[in-house]
Amino acid sequence: MTPHLPPPGRPTRRSLLKGGLALGGLGLAGATAGCGSPLAAGIAGTQLAPGTVTFWNLFGGGDGARLQLMLDEYARQNGGPDSLQSATFAWGNPYYTKVSLATLGDKPPDVAVAHLTRAQNLARAGLLTEITDEMLALVDLTPEDFTPKVWDAGKLGERAYAVPLDTHPFVLFYNKGVCEQAGLLDGDGKLKPIRGTEQWEAALTAAKEVTGAYGASVATVSETATPWRLFQSLYSQRSGNTPFLSGGGTELTFDEPLVADTLAYLQSLTAKGLMPTTTDYAGSQTLMFTGQAAFYMQGEWEITTAQSVPDLEFGMVPIPQLYDSPACQADSHAFILPRMERDEDQLRRAMGFVRSMLDQGMTWAEGGHVPAYLPTLQDPAYAALEPQSDYAPAADYAVYDAPAWYSGSGSNFETIVGAQIGLVLQGSASPEEAIASMRSQLQTYAETADPLS
Amino acid sequence: MSAPTITEPGVAATTARAPRGVRSAETRPAWLFIAPFALFYVVFLIWPTAYMVIASFFNTSVVQEGFGSWAGFGNYAEMLTRPEFWSAMWHTLQFTLYTVPPLVVLSFVFAVLANRVQRGQWFFRLAFFVPFILPSAAIALIWNFILSPSTGLLAVVQGWFGVEEPAPILGTPALAMVGIALATLWWTIGFNFILYLAGLQDVPREVYEAAAIDGASPWQQIRWITIPMLSRTTTLVILLQIIASLKIFDQVYLMTAGGPGISTQVALGLVTTSAFTDFRVGAASAASVLLFIVIVAIAVARQLIDRAQERRA
Amino acid sequence: MATTGTSSASRRAGITAAAPPPRRVGEAAKNSTRTFNVVCGVVLGIFAVLWLIPSLWAIKTSLTPNSVSAVGAEEILRHAGLTLDPYVTILQGGSIWNWYLASFFTATVTTALTVALASMAGYALSRLQFRGRAVVFVLMLAGVMIPNQVLVVPIFQMLDAVHLLNTYWAVILPQVPYVIAVFVFKQFFDGLPRELEEAARIDGAGFWRVYRSVILPLSKPVISAMAILTFVNVWNNLLLPLFVVSNPELMTIPVGLATVQGSFGQRVSDIQASAILGALPLVVLFFLFQRRIVEGVAGTGLKG
Repeated sequence: MTPHLPPPGRPTRRSLLKGGLALGGLGLAGATAGCGSPLAAGIAGTQLAPGTVTFWNLFGGGDGARLQLMLDEYARQNGGPDSLQSATFAWGNPYYTKVSLATLGDKPPDVAVAHLTRAQNLARAGLLTEITDEMLALVDLTPEDFTPKVWDAGKLGERAYAVPLDTHPFVLFYNKGVCEQAGLLDGDGKLKPIRGTEQWEAALTAAKEVTGAYGASVATVSETATPWRLFQSLYSQRSGNTPFLSGGGTELTFDEPLVADTLAYLQSLTAKGLMPTTTDYAGSQTLMFTGQAAFYMQGEWEITTAQSVPDLEFGMVPIPQLYDSPACQADSHAFILPRMERDEDQLRRAMGFVRSMLDQGMTWAEGGHVPAYLPTLQDPAYAALEPQSDYAPAADYAVYDAPAWYSGSGSNFETIVGAQIGLVLQGSASPEEAIASMRSQLQTYAETADPLS
Repeated sequence: MSAPTITEPGVAATTARAPRGVRSAETRPAWLFIAPFALFYVVFLIWPTAYMVIASFFNTSVVQEGFGSWAGFGNYAEMLTRPEFWSAMWHTLQFTLYTVPPLVVLSFVFAVLANRVQRGQWFFRLAFFVPFILPSAAIALIWNFILSPSTGLLAVVQGWFGVEEPAPILGTPALAMVGIALATLWWTIGFNFILYLAGLQDVPREVYEAAAIDGASPWQQIRWITIPMLSRTTTLVILLQIIASLKIFDQVYLMTAGGPGISTQVALGLVTTSAFTDFRVGAASAASVLLFIVIVAIAVARQLIDRAQERRA
Repeated sequence: MATTGTSSASRRAGITAAAPPPRRVGEAAKNSTRTFNVVCGVVLGIFAVLWLIPSLWAIKTSLTPNSVSAVGAEEILRHAGLTLDPYVTILQGGSIWNWYLASFFTATVTTALTVALASMAGYALSRLQFRGRAVVFVLMLAGVMIPNQVLVVPIFQMLDAVHLLNTYWAVILPQVPYVIAVFVFKQFFDGLPRELEEAARIDGAGFWRVYRSVILPLSKPVISAMAILTFVNVWNNLLLPLFVVSNPELMTIPVGLATVQGSFGQRVSDIQASAILGALPLVVLFFLFQRRIVEGVAGTGLKG
């Protein structure tokens, strides 16, 4: 193998030239692929998809399907599928990480969905565009168009950073067939009111006799949000309850005896076999759908799944008041505008998109969420929606997670606390052990300098 | 093969050449040859290492400009006293303990067996090696589905063997790491398999022949020839495996995201969560430095062991 | 050389041939050896089949309608028909094409840069005597031991500072300094005969020309091995692109698979189809360059 030697000359320069041409070719490829193509954006950092609305969300399951209908409708009204680019990410921290990092990296979506409890932190981190009255006015909205409680939850001080879409309380699903047999329904085929722990246990016991398995089901395995929501709903019903966190998360202020007592009560329900000790999210649904449990506790969005089960007759009500006052854990979905340089057109498009979603509020409400946009909430069509309107009052006494940089839906706080509550429900940790573990894990966060400010 | 391959270093050529001193005429071109790579080396290895060390002493935040306020050894103190840190370190070790022995033993067995089989080598390579070059994300999607509670393939197979309501592997704190280890074993065994196959080629045929003439059974040949002759490869495989295990991130992120709770959270998971979810670059850097020290210590140990063996060989 | 991160395994040439059976042995011993080898083959065959099951299962699921696979494993086993719908769904969804583009672009450019720059540096270390050589050598050795995964946070901060986040460059540039490659090249060059170079030098060729016209043409095996290894590593990397690229349009295959979900919930067959489509280019690569890949891995002890 004898390499062919070119005559001496200036090979260096020629090689450089070749290299340059190759690079130029790459650039050309990028340019011809057009501004707005991923290739151009990836190489030259140009704007992705100019002239369209990019929208990120974290909706899976029934929510995702319903959102798709609304997005299709928006696209139909605004000149076809090219007017909108939407992307769905894995729920919780991964989603918020993506939104945050994209904003830091100067390529956020025009509009994104956020839980109000998380929007607070994004706003404090300087990652959101303030929603001014002028911006709302672009699409004929005012702050008065929204449930005051929810609108205020999206404010940081005097400034608003989120346009709320809904409130999603933790609710009670019931299987009508089972409840009928257990004598728990009234003449209209609706669940008789349940009040206090005695009535609750009586109802579960009656139901268990019918099902032969459980009275109620709630996810305890592979889940942190659900156990937390259940616990927080009951804890918040007790007089003398104090917020879990205070001072923006610098202090742990939960009432320990009350927490211990509530956890012990929950554990007694699974220990007695009234609720399953180990079932995951899907499993807890299946139990109610297949008549192995009369009740099922979860966010109202699972209405879509329940409706898709053939021959299932079910109803939904707020979580019963087992203690001193009605309460339930909740959060709200809202639209946020991540921080970016926006020209007039972009802003108008973004707000137009938000408005379109609000206008399609009934589609969203059918998916179970309680509208935060008053024209939808007060629409007679909503009042006629069953069982959605049956639990709408829950939004009035909804309890949001305590504000802290590590708190909010799907946050470290929920993960830490929810995991321990899950263990209590499974019977593998005592309330005291769970509290000790929560406290030590949360303490680290409480003592940590707030990275947002 | 007439041309030398990557697998044959030209020791002869290097040693044959007369020792030369530094030639100043070669210094400039040499640096020009090295400069482009060195630039990347400094910018993307040295400077990040320095940045990491510096940031570990500050309350640096992803969303704030600059390094932020001085934290002294606060971040280190926090990490070293924080249960999550030790739990992440323990899970990293746990993953190492769960994966290294089966990865080493099974790959050894597979390679020894494959070495005695005349035909079908391509089939074994396909089966054992192909998973290794696939993206972890694809592996995780496949295994998450196999391990999905009650409806997954594993649960169904467990059912055939009479296991009623098998515990969800990835959903049970005590089992989740086993699930991750299982997927990892499947995914990466091909790497060790190939290294062992290469090591086996090194055992001279004459040794086997002599042993066979002396009446050694195949089993005795393996026990008294193959295993001792592969000890260097085994050391290498174990050390590479340990270093790789300490850097475990993908499978955990993809299969359990550190859960249930934090029962499978590993060191790199803690680092990225602290930095990109909690925005705490300072704390993440302190954790990174600690992990960095452990990994470099083992990498140095590896080099020392390798050298010692080289000298003995 | 023991210090390069290359392994003892680096001394073997091809590793495909199985050990031949011993010659000149008695018939009885031959027979027992043959029996033993057959048993070995059967045992290994069983393991190999076991090892193929997960892939086959994913393929089977991806060819089953979503409505069937949603029910569970038993239903998938029972279902006889095959459908390509999940593949159609994924390919028509569009995202995966952007991910392919990102993966191909970043892996190709990184590979080109790594091979070019590392071979240049390897050449200098192999052939040139220069001031600071020892320092460079030690620094490179140190570089082999730096676990670059651990540097993801500072690298993110740097890329943020220079506004390169959410570009392909954020994926490409940090992966270029693949230090082991320098040693692999150096080691290979050390083994090349010097006569040709010296002839070229006498003809008046400069070092660059010797490198370009003499060394590189002789180095095709090592170049292709390093190119394939780098390509596979960059293609499969999850950690870095996961955090430096947040836009679905710019994501590489692993990041896309890991983060973007369909909006119709858990469509099992679609998900398995996307996993297979994401893995497919590498399977093709494996069949094309089987020997190079295996030799490269065995020769360098490089792991992800």
